Formats: sequence, structure tokens, C-alpha cells
Amino acid sequence: MAEVQTYGMVAEFDDPEELVAAARAVRDKGYRRFETYTPYAIRELDEIVPQDDWIPLLVLLSGALGTITAFGLQYWIAAIHYPLNIGGRPLNSWPSWVPIMFELTVLFAASAAFFGMLFFAGFPALYHPMFRIPTFERASDDGFFLCIEARDALFESDATARFLLSFDPLKVWEVDDE
Amino acid sequence: MTIDERQRRASRPPGPGTTVAIVAPGTTFHSVTEQISTIVTSPDVPPIWFWSFAAALTLVLIFLTGVVALISTGVGIFGNNIPVAWAFPITNFVWWIGIGHAGTLISAILLLLNQPWRNSINRFAEAMTLFAVACAGLFPVFHLGRPWVAFWILPYPNLMTVQSQFRSPLVWDVFAVSTYATVSLLFWYLGMIPDLASVRDRATGRLEHAVYGVLALGWRGASRHWRWHKTASKLLAGLATPLVLSVHTVVSFDFTIAILAGWHSTIFPPYFVSGAIFSGFAMVLVLAIPIRKAYRLENLVTERHLDNCAKIMLATGLVLAYTYVIEPFTSWYSGDKFEMAVVHNRAAGPYAWSFWAVIALNVVIPQLLWWKRNRTQPLILFLISIDVLVGMWLERYMIIVSSLNRDYLPASWFRYSATAWDNIMLYGSIGLFTLLFLLFVRFFPMISMSEVRELLPYSRPGGGSEK
Repeated sequence: MAEVQTYGMVAEFDDPEELVAAARAVRDKGYRRFETYTPYAIRELDEIVPQDDWIPLLVLLSGALGTITAFGLQYWIAAIHYPLNIGGRPLNSWPSWVPIMFELTVLFAASAAFFGMLFFAGFPALYHPMFRIPTFERASDDGFFLCIEARDALFESDATARFLLSFDPLKVWEVDDE
Repeated sequence: MTIDERQRRASRPPGPGTTVAIVAPGTTFHSVTEQISTIVTSPDVPPIWFWSFAAALTLVLIFLTGVVALISTGVGIFGNNIPVAWAFPITNFVWWIGIGHAGTLISAILLLLNQPWRNSINRFAEAMTLFAVACAGLFPVFHLGRPWVAFWILPYPNLMTVQSQFRSPLVWDVFAVSTYATVSLLFWYLGMIPDLASVRDRATGRLEHAVYGVLALGWRGASRHWRWHKTASKLLAGLATPLVLSVHTVVSFDFTIAILAGWHSTIFPPYFVSGAIFSGFAMVLVLAIPIRKAYRLENLVTERHLDNCAKIMLATGLVLAYTYVIEPFTSWYSGDKFEMAVVHNRAAGPYAWSFWAVIALNVVIPQLLWWKRNRTQPLILFLISIDVLVGMWLERYMIIVSSLNRDYLPASWFRYSATAWDNIMLYGSIGLFTLLFLLFVRFFPMISMSEVRELLPYSRPGGGSEK
């Protein structure tokens, strides 16, 4: 039987202020692989926990693709595939295509925002080691968790646990990986 | 002292210029979670829910009878006939889709404008949008005559060697409404993921746990999740804002692109959008007032929410009143005798009753909202909202029927009157909307817990709140 791997060391707080202070100290200490778990968005954490955000670019590109798709679809149907002469108007009567170009731009961009968020977050992910923490259901209620992950270069079970205990959390948990 | 105790004791100072807080003092992170998720997880349901459900289900069964009659007999069961080809079905369509617009306004535009009070009403306003659009979408399809080939309007490779006509506003409308429905659904679901996780973590039964577990998609509240969630929400809000304005604009194009006197007017897009938001806020209030009472949510949906919604209703109502004035003015100023005839026909013709009812219901009675007492008295506000909903339905009826019934050729003038089936479909769709909404209230968190938590004291370092 393979040895059980550690996923990370987790500190539980009941106050957002303590969590933010602890997260800041963890970052300043030099840790890079850490994550906070909170019941609502706390703006300060965006600057503390290292993270990328590619959703805006994805949405822009997807929206542009929507515009091109809508124009291409309408041009191909109205001017090439099924040309209809209505009162001698030009076949490429693009002003009347603007509404659909707009709608498909929004449709493509909005889908990219939604599915992009799911993609980057790795959803759906019905299982995660953090769910092993007995009190983790407080993370969707009034609990604030800070996890230093074992894959961090500075991670070292005892030292990391002592470091987390120095913030005076409610409890420190060692979480097993699969 | 734990944060729960500190939040309980904090008496939040009211915002500038207001006397009532957005969230009642004494609300804590935990109390919000308990209050909202218990509605979903507890087997107890307020008695009024059952009575409303029974009434709504009855209406839905009547509605289904209407659908069967329509499909088996044909569109002739309605009172529509040339030249009044639109009448009830399109009136219902425009009415329902307009109602939906307030939900998007609350969830998207007020998010971008940084109006934190929206946080406790946006969820059910979005649900209202979704169900209103669902009801709206049915009517043009029923109205086609052969509803089972409704997909012919979409561009797709087919063996009939025909294709969509993209110069027609009716095709634009299909794209506008289906995009609107999709984006509303995505926005609604995205916002609900963190709250579904709260319900998952509080579910007691095995089935409940599994269902909400799957619906929550594995949400853990990680800071990256929140960051991407906020980015996606804000982008969706930014996209939904022009979308909501475009949808009703395209709906008004269905009218204005036609060369019919009384429809062919550049004022229609703002006219329709303001009317849509006017009726939508009326529906928000018609839903919010009984719900906050039945589920004792007065601490989260406060008098301030009622007051703000009523103010938006008053403002959009005034825009609408302005268009009522400017419409006959442009007809007169154009010097076109057909335009003038329509104005005369509306005010003194066979459908004059609808014109004057619209003036009374949409312009005169809503002026009661100038008094703060009326804006914060739930019963009075509820009655004014019902009045607005009726008025806005009649407005669309008036626009459609009074323009169509007397067209350019007097020989084809026609006196339209609705049949019983027309009424069955209208009231049946109200039943369908109510049924869907009641199911939403029972099985989904109807107030955004995560966004309400952001409003509470001590939710940010330093003791303050997000907004």
C-alpha cells in the first residue's frame, strides 16, 4: 500500500481579518502554493494569493469570433447560398445584419465568461482533498480557511504547522491527499 | 468575542440620506446561511405556498388544455384575423418579455453601478426574468399556426432549399430572445453556485446532498474561484446591460420596421424599453412583497428595497408618460393623415376604452408613488404594482389592436375581439410563471447568501463591509 501523501496544512479561522493577516504573513514568508477558502469574496485576498486571470481575454476573443460568425453566416446565406432580390436592394445589405451580429457577439462572449470560469476553476470537480476537513462545511457559512499546500518548496510538515499555529487559529489540520 | 457576537451587536449606521439599513442590524454570516438555506432544506413549507401552488397548477392544466386545443384545431381558435393578425399572442409575448427586463436591470446594471442594495433581491429577480422569458417565448411559437415547425425560422442546412431572411426583424427577434434566455440562465446559475455549495453543506438527506453537490460543481470558495467568479459576473453584467436594452429594442423593431401608421415611429425603442422596466419592477414588487412576508425575510428585503424599486418604477413611468405625450405630437407634426387617423382612432375609436385605461393605470395612478408613505406601505405598493402590470398589458394590446384594426383600406377594417381561448392562454401563462417561480422558491436559495455576507459589518479587514 502506497504511503499516504499530505495535501497540505490548513488553519481554520473564524474572522476574515485574522485570515487576511495570516495570508499576508504566509506570502511574506515566501510561500507560493497556498490558497484561502472563504464564504464570500474578500477583495484583499486577490492581491495576496498569487493568481492569473485570463477570462477577460478569452471573453474578448470569443466575442470577436461571435461577430465574425454572425457576419459570415448572414453573408453566406443572403449573398451566396440563397440570394433574394427584394425591391432591388443589394444582396450584401449589411446594416440589417447588425442586430444578429450584436446578439451572437454577446452570446459567444457570455458563454466564454461562464464556461471559462468553470474551466479555469476545474469545475465540475465533485471531490477535493479539502473536503476531508471535518469542519470544512463552514467555508460556505462563517469559516475562513488557509491552506499551505505540500507541493510548495518551503513546505515542511512540522515547521509549517508551527508557523500556522503562530497566528492563533481555531485549529490546524493536516489534510491527506487521495 | 466571536465574530457572530460582534456582528449581532453591530448596529450598522444607515447610509447617507437614508433612514433604513439595507440589511437589518443583528444579521450575521451564520444567521444568513441558516435563514436562507433552511428554506430549501427544511421539509416545512408555509401554507400559502401550497395554496398558491394548487392555484398555479390548476391554471397550468387549463393552459395545457389550451395548447392541446390550439395544436389539434389550429390558430383559428384565437380571435385573430387579418388585418388584426397579432392581438393576444403578441401582446402576451411583449408583456412577458418586458417583465423579464427588470431582473436583468437589477442583476446587471445595478451591479455595474455599484448599488449594494440589489444584493438581496437580485437572485429572485433573475429567476423572474428566466421564467418570464420562458412564458414569452411560447407565444410567438403558438402564434405560428404550425408550432411544430417553429425551427424553420433558424438558419440550418436543410433539404427545402430555403433559408432565413435576415432583413426581417422577426428573425432578429428569434436571435435576440434566445440569446437573452441563454445569457440570463448562465448569469443566474453562475451567481447561484456558491449558494448551492452552502445548501450542499447543510443538506441532511442523502439525495439532497447528492443533488446539490452536483449542482454546486465542487465549489470550495477558494480565492481563485472567487476572483474568476467576480470577473465572470462583472463581464456577464457588462454584456447583459446592452443585451437587455437591445432585446426590447429588437422587439420594438417588430413594430417599427412595418410601415403601419401608429407603429412606424423612431420613438418605439426607448418607449418599449422604459415600459418594460416599468412593468418589470412592478412584477418584482408583486413577487417580493408576499414572499418577504411568507418567509419572514423582512430583515433582508427591507423597506429600503421596496422604496428603491418604487422609485425606479416612478421614474420609468414618467419616461413612459412622456412618450405617450410625444407620440401624438409627432403624428400631428408629421402632417400625415394616416398617422393622425390612428391617434384619433386610439382616443375615440372602438378601442378608446383601452387607451384611456392605459392613461389611468400607467400615468395617473402611479403618481401616488411620489409619497414616501405609499412607497413603503407593502399593501399599497402591491396594489399599485398590480395596477401597473394590468396597465402595461393593456398598453401593448392598445398599440397592436388599435393600429391594426383600421389599416389603409377601409374595406378591410375589422372589429377584433378575443375568444375564450385567448384568455385561457393568457391566464394559463400566468399560472405557468407562478408555478415555476414557486418551485424555484422551494428548491433554490432565493436570496444570494454570499453577496449578503459582503454587506455585513466585519466582513472586511478593519471591521467594515464590502460596500
